[in-house]
Amino acid sequence: MASYDQTDDRQSKGALFGSKGETSSRPALEWSGGENGYLLRIFGDWQVRHVRGIAKEIKKLKCGTAGTGPKGLTVDMAGLSALDTAGAMLILDMNELLKSKGYTPEIVNAREADQILFELISRHPRERGDTEVKSSMVLDLVRDLGETVLSIGRDIIEITAMIGQVTLSLLGLIIRPWRLRFTSLVHHMEHAGLKAVSIISLICFLIGAVIMQQSVEQLRAYSAEYFSIDMLGILALREVGVLLTSIMIAGRSGAAFTAEIGSMKMREEVDAMRALGIDPVETLIVPRVLALVIALPLLTFIGNIMCLAGGAFIAYQVMNIDLQSFVERLNDGVDIRHFYVGLIKTPFVALIIGIVGTLEGMRVQGSAESLGTHVRASVVKSIFLVIILDAAFAMALTAMGI
Amino acid sequence: MVALEMPRSNPIIEVRHLHKQFGSQVVFENLNLDVYEGEVLGIVGQSGGGKSVLLRCLNGLERYSAGRISFFGQDTAEMSGKDLRHVEARSGLLFQDGALFSALTVLQNIQVPMREHISLPKNIMDELAYLKLALVGLPANAAHKYPSELSGGMRKRAGLARALALDPKIVFLDEPTAGLDPIGANEFDLLIRDLQRTLGLTVFMVTHDLDSIFAICDRVAVLADRKIVRHGSPAELTKDPGHPWIKSYFCGERGRKAQSTAKDTAT
Repeated sequence: MASYDQTDDRQSKGALFGSKGETSSRPALEWSGGENGYLLRIFGDWQVRHVRGIAKEIKKLKCGTAGTGPKGLTVDMAGLSALDTAGAMLILDMNELLKSKGYTPEIVNAREADQILFELISRHPRERGDTEVKSSMVLDLVRDLGETVLSIGRDIIEITAMIGQVTLSLLGLIIRPWRLRFTSLVHHMEHAGLKAVSIISLICFLIGAVIMQQSVEQLRAYSAEYFSIDMLGILALREVGVLLTSIMIAGRSGAAFTAEIGSMKMREEVDAMRALGIDPVETLIVPRVLALVIALPLLTFIGNIMCLAGGAFIAYQVMNIDLQSFVERLNDGVDIRHFYVGLIKTPFVALIIGIVGTLEGMRVQGSAESLGTHVRASVVKSIFLVIILDAAFAMALTAMGI
Repeated sequence: MVALEMPRSNPIIEVRHLHKQFGSQVVFENLNLDVYEGEVLGIVGQSGGGKSVLLRCLNGLERYSAGRISFFGQDTAEMSGKDLRHVEARSGLLFQDGALFSALTVLQNIQVPMREHISLPKNIMDELAYLKLALVGLPANAAHKYPSELSGGMRKRAGLARALALDPKIVFLDEPTAGLDPIGANEFDLLIRDLQRTLGLTVFMVTHDLDSIFAICDRVAVLADRKIVRHGSPAELTKDPGHPWIKSYFCGERGRKAQSTAKDTAT
């Protein structure tokens, strides 16, 4: 096999560092016809950075179809100053094109290195892999619809299965409580619970203030602005506190769970656990779900209080009601059951967020893109399910008269 | 082999008095190295001795404290942004695990440098990418797969195809055979050798693999004690190690075995 030819100065000079432009020359083609056949002369640098120019030259080539006359065509490469795989590929393709037009091209004056390139390229046929079949929009729509329905079905089955697995693990923990990963549980309670206090307080305070301000504004027309405290109390304790907190936690901790478990899945850490006989449900999922089930009611309680505080602040600002009167009115107007109704929902909501977040994490496959898809799916699904769950509770509890 | 006796007049890369330190830990001290055109240069040295750091310095991925690195006779520190982009386009880099972009298919990965450095018509870009794919020995149906669907060896081949996308003058390989089985490693060595000869490439290769050193390296530079302590052909270094680390590396059990295998395949 011929080694790289050092004495060949064209390659080393022209192609070595062509950026300065002193040795670079534009690619060109020159076509001439003679009695003994045709002559095609190639000039300049046939390199990848000149491909546009080369393509233009080839397009410009006015050769027509070979007539009845001589068909011999000499492709003279003496004027070529540099060649790389892109240029060589285009020359070979051009020859194929000329052949299809009836000529018989023959390359002459090619240097040894260029010969090797031509050989290399013709030795490796450019096969195209199967590209995806283009289908119509209607078919795409139908397919997407079908896939969505199937994926919803799959979600229902897998979420149910995961609830079952987690319950089984939890029951196991009642019998053998020492198997609980206590450090992990506390860690997740800190991250999902304690560190979320400030943001949840702020949001709930602001929304409480907004609700209060709007209801005072509306009820003033009936001189019933005093009742806006009752309204805020019921609304905040029953619905708003829970919903705001859960949606915040779904976006914050649910996404974090998916990303944490997903990146472990990507690096085969989850498989390594299984291989070492460690149950990933017990080590990864149960502590996270349990942490949320403990933390979310506490956070909701804080959220409720901050919501009321926001209302109290506005009541003082707008209606000049001081804190004591506000609390008295709240005591008279709002039954304690509203508080219980709000709070009873939280463990279920926490369970849903935890299960969806960890389940999506376990579904992550090799690529970074897959991680992104599942984090997104985790947030969207858990928020959606939280709202569905809340609606179901609202209807059921109202029907029961609570 | 012609390449061994070729005149050493044309260094593509010159490294002079390179100094680099992380905090108080000195990685390079007065390091000098030439990379000549058309050679396969292997860089060996202890783990954690800075081989990969050297490769990253040469590619501008890591800053150095003092010294000079010249590409094609020009100091990289004094190059304009445009010149640097030209150097980038003229050098290809294969990372250890390919470092393919996971959101793109193999074909799109190969086309990234083409899109970034030059504008090409779509059909020619496709043709070129399929050609590079064939050159590195990947089957056509790998073109539309994502990196996560490929095996380690295929990812390396795809990474090599991406490094070769713009017909670079020099390719940098970071542990090209690490993580491949002996057959795959041997095939990859031969592929590099084959492409180096046919495309006239200069290859700068950081490696641990004694087999690939004896199989394809024209010259080996040994990085120890924070500088290049010796360089020469693998045979020269085995005959006259001159440094305790080189002695234990080349003249140890594995070194002898690799050398005899290389001799067997040569004869």
